[in-house]
Parts: sequence; C-alpha cells; structure tokens
Amino acid sequence: MKLLTHNMLTSHVKGVTKGYPLLIKATEVKVNEVEFNPQFVSRMIPKLEWGALVQAAEELGHRQDLPGELVQDYEKNEDFLKKVHRVLLEVEVIEGCLQCPESGREFPISKGIPNMLLNEDEV
Amino acid sequence: MMEEAASQLERDHVHNVYDKIAPYFNDSRYKAWPKVRQFLLELQPGSIVADIGCGNGKYLHINKDVFKLGCDVCRPLVDFAWSQGHEVQMCDGLHLPYRDSCFDAVLSIAVIHHLSTKERRIRAIKEMARTLRVGGRIMIYVWAMEQKRRKFEKQDIFVPWNPNPQFLPGLNKPRRRTTAQSVSEAIDNTEKHRKVRSTSSVADEEDLGRTTPQQRTHKLWFFSRSLDSVFDFGSLGISRSSSRDMSTLSSPTGENEGNKFNLSGRGRGLIKQVSSFFSPPSVIGSEEDVFVTEQHKGPNNSGGNGTTNNSSAVSLVQECGSLALPDLVSLQGEDLKQSGDERDGGLLGEELQESTQSPQGSEGQVEGSCLRYYHVFREGELAELIANHVEELHVKHTYFDHANWCVVAEKVQVWKI
Repeated sequence: MKLLTHNMLTSHVKGVTKGYPLLIKATEVKVNEVEFNPQFVSRMIPKLEWGALVQAAEELGHRQDLPGELVQDYEKNEDFLKKVHRVLLEVEVIEGCLQCPESGREFPISKGIPNMLLNEDEV
Repeated sequence: MMEEAASQLERDHVHNVYDKIAPYFNDSRYKAWPKVRQFLLELQPGSIVADIGCGNGKYLHINKDVFKLGCDVCRPLVDFAWSQGHEVQMCDGLHLPYRDSCFDAVLSIAVIHHLSTKERRIRAIKEMARTLRVGGRIMIYVWAMEQKRRKFEKQDIFVPWNPNPQFLPGLNKPRRRTTAQSVSEAIDNTEKHRKVRSTSSVADEEDLGRTTPQQRTHKLWFFSRSLDSVFDFGSLGISRSSSRDMSTLSSPTGENEGNKFNLSGRGRGLIKQVSSFFSPPSVIGSEEDVFVTEQHKGPNNSGGNGTTNNSSAVSLVQECGSLALPDLVSLQGEDLKQSGDERDGGLLGEELQESTQSPQGSEGQVEGSCLRYYHVFREGELAELIANHVEELHVKHTYFDHANWCVVAEKVQVWKI
C-alpha cells in the first residue's frame, strides 16, 4: 500500500464519523524506486489531504524533511516535488494494519493489500 | 431479511464462484474493452481513478499518467492484480473505504449486474458517486438482456461456469483458459468464421471463442425470479407460470448419492442430460435451445415425474445455493399447483438446512457447481436507475457495447436546502 492510496482510505465502520485518516501500524515497509514525473506529482498535490500524508510518513519513519505545510509555488519546486514523490509513491507498507482513529478497529495489510472488508456487524 | 437473502445469494453465486474460478481468469482476461481503455486514456494527467470491482486488474495498467487503484472482494483476483504491480484493496462495493470526492474517475465494469436487488445496485452506484469529485466521471458496464440475436427471457439468471476447453474446439488462438459460458458464444454461432475480436463481443470480458452447433445445446441458463419480486408477496401468485422458465434436470443416473447433487465429472454428464431437453437447433440463431421451457422437455420428463426429478430438482436447489427462490422448487409439475408459497419456501427451507456447503467433489467439481448470478439489464434500465435514484450523477452517454449496456455519468453538486 502506497501512501497515496492511504491518503484516500478511510474507516467506514458503521457509526464512525471521524474515520480519517487511518493510523498506520506497519511491520514491514519497502522503498522502491519509481520513475519521477514532476507534472504528475504536482497535479496530485491539490487532491491530497496534506496533513494526513505528513502524519502517515511520520508514522512510518519516512517523513524526512517533508514540510508540515505546503510550500508556495510548489509546481516549479523540483526539490519539493521529489520529496513528495518519494513519500507518495516510493514508500510502501507491505505488512501491518490500518487503524480506525475513532473505533480502534484494525484493518489488516497483508502482502501490500489492505483488507477493508467489514464484518456483518460493522455494516 | 431481504438484505440477508441478497447478501447470501451474492456470497454463494458471485463471491464463492469467483474465488473458485479466479485461477482460470487470469490467463485470458488480459484484454481491455476499447471504450474503457479510451475513457482511461482521455483522463487528465495526474488524475486519480478507481476501478471498483477490478478483478485481476486488467484496466489498472492503462495510462501511466494517472494514478489507478482497484478493489474487489475476490482475494485470488486481487492477489493477482497486486502481483502485476497494481495498488489494490479488498473491499465491497456497498461499503467503499474511500473518502468523499477523492476520485477524478471511477470504473464499474461488469460488476453491478452481480448485485441481486435493485436497491443494492442503486446503493453501489451511490457509493461510487460519493467517492467521485464534482465534475468527475463514472463509466459503468453491465450485461445486456438484449443480445444481438436474442434476449434473455428473464433478467435474473444463473450462469454456469465451465472452464473445460473441450467445449470450445477450434479456436483461432490457443487459449490457456476457455469458457463455454459467455453469452455471446451462444448467439454468435453463425459468426464462427468471423475473426475473434481481441476485446470480445461477450457480455462479460471473457474472450470470445468460436462455437459449433453442438455447443449451443450445451448452454444452460437457469432463470429465476429476481429477489425483488420474490419478496413482493403480492406478485408471488403469478410465479406459477414462471416455473416453466426453469429447466428440470434428471439426475445423472447412478451418480447421485442421497441428496447430494454430484456434479463431478459431470460437467459433461450434466450437460448431456440437460441437452436432451433441448430441441436440436435447426435454425441458426434459434433461441429455443437456450431458453428452456416445458414444451421442450424430453421423454424423461413426461407427466407424473417420479421422485427422481423431484430429488434432482431439489438437489439442484441445494447446489444453486442456500437462498429461497421459490421458482427453483416450483418446477415439479402438478405438485406445484397445490402448494402454497409458504410451503415452497418451507420445503426449500428444510432442504437448505441440510446443505451447508456445495458438495465438494474432486476433479471437475469446479465445472458443474459454479453458477454465477447475474441481473441482466434492459435497454435504458441503467440510465433510468441513475436518473431516478442517483441525483448526484447526470448521465452523459449511454450506449450498447457488444453485449453490454454502458453509461458514462458525471458527478454534479446537489444542493440541499
């Protein structure tokens, strides 16, 4: 699971209103090399919940020097875009779980795949 | 109660089946429908697209300038998609684990026709709409009731799965997996000399194989009432006449053990049995051989059916899953007219308690016992569903693509006072 994906994921347990962002508890993390496409990253940024991204990177110990707030004019800031690129697309959680911040319910991540299926009593 | 029934039906005749047949899919489900491909290629670079019900992820590699993620309930298919390098999750289309308005585009290709009630189909569409941003678009493909040469008689059907390559001789290209179950195979038999199109003119995404006349008789469709009508007790009285929609099967002699419908080896045995009920197709494109009615019953089914047919029909019900679909039971000729709805339901209920799982056979078990549930859509039905029930989506295009009805709709802002 990449952090870009994580940025979209939310807890959908019945009754939960503050299910985002999911807390990440990772037991295995991988970093891959992914081709850098500055335009792609730049266009992705407005779609992100920036705070959730930073928090997730922090939880994984991969935040490095990613700023807590978006920098101005990031579109042309290749340095910044590279940092975002790394965190969004190169860091991957292979094993672990995602925890609902409100209910505590844990969704397992196994072989890189989060299992977000709910049980009957949770729908 | 309807909700439980619906989910049980889907568990038995969608999820469990795909779990079993997933290995067969990965080999040849590698082709994308051109219009879906085009939809993906036309997205703005930097878009985020979700393929809801992505199966083995065959759309997830298209367009490297957009971020794609996929989800499905079928673990083996999701695992395969992952092995191809895609971002995928396990989840269910009625409860999407994505925040509101986070996607620029959503795909739903051959998915919602597996939902067994209208309400669930609407909910699935609404869920996908929820995750779409305003201005974003969704593309939905569902099997069409109206095929090129024929219509399905009913909208709610069980389609058997048969990966046995023997049912598809003489294919143009060698295929590692073949199936006899695609809708178009039944109808495209005149076009066996036509080149097999890579994108398949099949309602579902399986590649089209050529069929021979013999194969047409091997097609077997089980029709049922939709769950919506089953639970509408007022209309159940009419169901008697629909009994003829269901094919009766006589048990493969000597293969039955007690109540278990032994379908092993039997993919073929079963089909042969059934084919005896079909009138031989004399005219290419004649539909009677696929849509079985009582008038086509062979000698085995003359009036006064004894216990053989009863037990096999009942066993078929067990095989078909643990859901009360009264018309599956109601095929037993004269008996039927006397029984009340409750008795049908009750009879079925008793049978069901005994069957916990589909009989586990050895080889060939996958062949016979996998029936996939589909609700095939009438022309305009999908667009109507959206127009009437999903105000946050505006239908932009609707078209017929091979054997599917397709809709592209845009998310709009809905203001509530």
